[in-house]
Amino acid sequence: MPGSMHMSRLRNWFLSSPPAEYLITSLKELLIGALQQGPIPQHVAFVMDGNRRFARSHGIETVEGHNLGFEALARILEVCYKSGVKVVTIYAFSIENFKRSKFEVDALMEIAKVKLSQMAQHGDILDRYGARVDVLGRLDLLKPDVLEAVNKAVDMTSRNGDRVLNICFPYTSRDEITSAIRHTVDDYSTPIQQAPSTAHAARTPFSESHITQNIRAQTKSYDTNSDSESTSSSSAQEDEHPRNGRGIYESGSSFSSSTTLHLGPESKGSPHRPASESPLYISPETITRQTLNDHMLTKGTPPLDILVRTSGVERLSDFMLWQTHENTEIVFLEVMWPEFDLWHFLPVLLGWQRRISKARQDPDAEGDFAGEETDMRLRQGGKAKDI
Amino acid sequence: MVSQRDRELLRGDLRARSKLSTADRESLLKSYLPEDLSRPERRRPHKTPIRSFFKSQLHHLAYALTHIIFGIIVRLLQAYHAVVDRVFAIVYHHHRTPELIRKDVRGLKRLPRHLSTILTLRKEDDALAVLMDEVAELAAWSSCAGIPQLSIYEKTGVLKSCIPALHQIITTKLASYYGSPDQQPNLHLYAPHHPVHGSTTNPGKSTLTMLLLSSTDGRETIVDLTKTLAEMSQNGKLSPEDITPELVDAEISDITTQPLTAGTDTVLKPEPDLLLVFSPYLKLDGYPPWQIRLTEMYCTGSRSHGVNGDGEAVEYQGYMRGLWHFAGAQMRFGR
Repeated sequence: MPGSMHMSRLRNWFLSSPPAEYLITSLKELLIGALQQGPIPQHVAFVMDGNRRFARSHGIETVEGHNLGFEALARILEVCYKSGVKVVTIYAFSIENFKRSKFEVDALMEIAKVKLSQMAQHGDILDRYGARVDVLGRLDLLKPDVLEAVNKAVDMTSRNGDRVLNICFPYTSRDEITSAIRHTVDDYSTPIQQAPSTAHAARTPFSESHITQNIRAQTKSYDTNSDSESTSSSSAQEDEHPRNGRGIYESGSSFSSSTTLHLGPESKGSPHRPASESPLYISPETITRQTLNDHMLTKGTPPLDILVRTSGVERLSDFMLWQTHENTEIVFLEVMWPEFDLWHFLPVLLGWQRRISKARQDPDAEGDFAGEETDMRLRQGGKAKDI
Repeated sequence: MVSQRDRELLRGDLRARSKLSTADRESLLKSYLPEDLSRPERRRPHKTPIRSFFKSQLHHLAYALTHIIFGIIVRLLQAYHAVVDRVFAIVYHHHRTPELIRKDVRGLKRLPRHLSTILTLRKEDDALAVLMDEVAELAAWSSCAGIPQLSIYEKTGVLKSCIPALHQIITTKLASYYGSPDQQPNLHLYAPHHPVHGSTTNPGKSTLTMLLLSSTDGRETIVDLTKTLAEMSQNGKLSPEDITPELVDAEISDITTQPLTAGTDTVLKPEPDLLLVFSPYLKLDGYPPWQIRLTEMYCTGSRSHGVNGDGEAVEYQGYMRGLWHFAGAQMRFGR
């Protein structure tokens, strides 16, 4: 053991000597520049696993392990952003992690707070990379002081460029999917706000019957206008008796508005019924995978290309379940997160580049690019079968 | 890269809780940052056109070189693993003998209770026949190894349309492993929204439950659930606040377990313990997302950095490697 300690100290001394450091830095720069020449993943996710185990095996405190993990994160973010990755998503803290010892949770929260407030202080430095910080997850579970740091960091960097750093902080994927479902349901159970009759006035093409009716009943024209603005059922029913032509006009126009708005079957079935009697909703049949996609926390980001998990644990552990579901390459590495560096990430990137370039040369061989198309066909096939 | 000296300074600062001021830290890091993008850059391109030209040429060269070297390494690894796989395939061969398969898994600390696999339909003419044979092999190995639940994911869902035929093929395969019908395990084969196809349960024998999945059981199922929930909410039967992970979990799990509870008394564990991916690299390819939260994944081709997109052949040695890996053990030459 002392021998290896001595060797590692000697190696560290050599690696930290200025010439060696200079050479390694230039080599890294060269490699990153080289990587840029090929296709670059748009969205990469990391599960930063192994901080605790690293600390245990190196005989340092857990908190210190997490600090080293943060350094590794800074290192890898530099690599990603310099080589052109647009979005980096990291799994910082799971909702399940609240079950760990209070001491460790508090320490993690403290690190997060310090780092986030430092990010906020150096808003202009993050700006150099054009990176914007986004915190995904159940912010309501955080303590107020941490939440304040989160908001400050997000605010400070919100004007930065198109690069994004997504920090998943109290996050689990099942929670995310559930929230997406809940928000979608919420959206679809809000009645369409506008009163249909005012919409008619703007949309209805001029109908002959209406014009003749207008000419006939010049004196009543004020009345008609007020009717079309009010949607109360009683007034519509009352008015139907004296003026027959208006009834036809009403039904025709409400039908046209319902087709343009994709209204639900119940509203289509009864075009005569005014809106206030049963509220109009958007039909749930219009919900698609894209609708749910747009309600996920990662909305607006490109699809996930690579997911890396360190420390040899080969599970997703409730991270990005929805997002990794299709063409994401999942990579499990043996290395502990604090040791993670360009050298471990490089083979992953090269393999990905190789596969993508092959697929672009020969689209038939790989499903990646034709995948969406076949998927669509399949879905339609599935639909037809269901019906 | 931040130099050792500056790193020590920053670490010391962290331990001492902000000894350095903001400005100090910024000046420490300034030299490591890329050029300020906001700074006017009118003069820069004119100043060093030759240097930037050479730099981009150098990067092109480095890109080509790294990929050549990487390609050679990958090919060497592929060749090495191809040889190793052949040796394993000879050493570990099942010979259609349940006892041998049982012996192969005897030393393992744990076995998955619910094993899931991702298979790919190939492009040849007899692809379906090959796929069904693979499914039958997997069924036989799993039942011999003592894994009670097996789910097969195939993206297109072609297997679901021929459940009776598949059942027949699996039964034939089991017969070739076990011999006479009274030694064969009970077989329950079904898919979501399809009834269970299988022999009547004979209590004296072990049971193999097989579930067929396709990409419609993935995101599409969650979309369908959302549609139903939205409709209920519109009719006032449910408030959006009632939607909890527990509710979603119960509903999604029901899809895969319900046909079973109707016909038999066995219960399927909705979350697989191990996901075996028979492809050159680990890609879920539309596998149902909700259930794989804690599932361990093993890809039979990942060691060799495979490039071609077609699925790998389903082989006994790959299957065993996955099981051994799951148990945290290393496979060795020689049984």
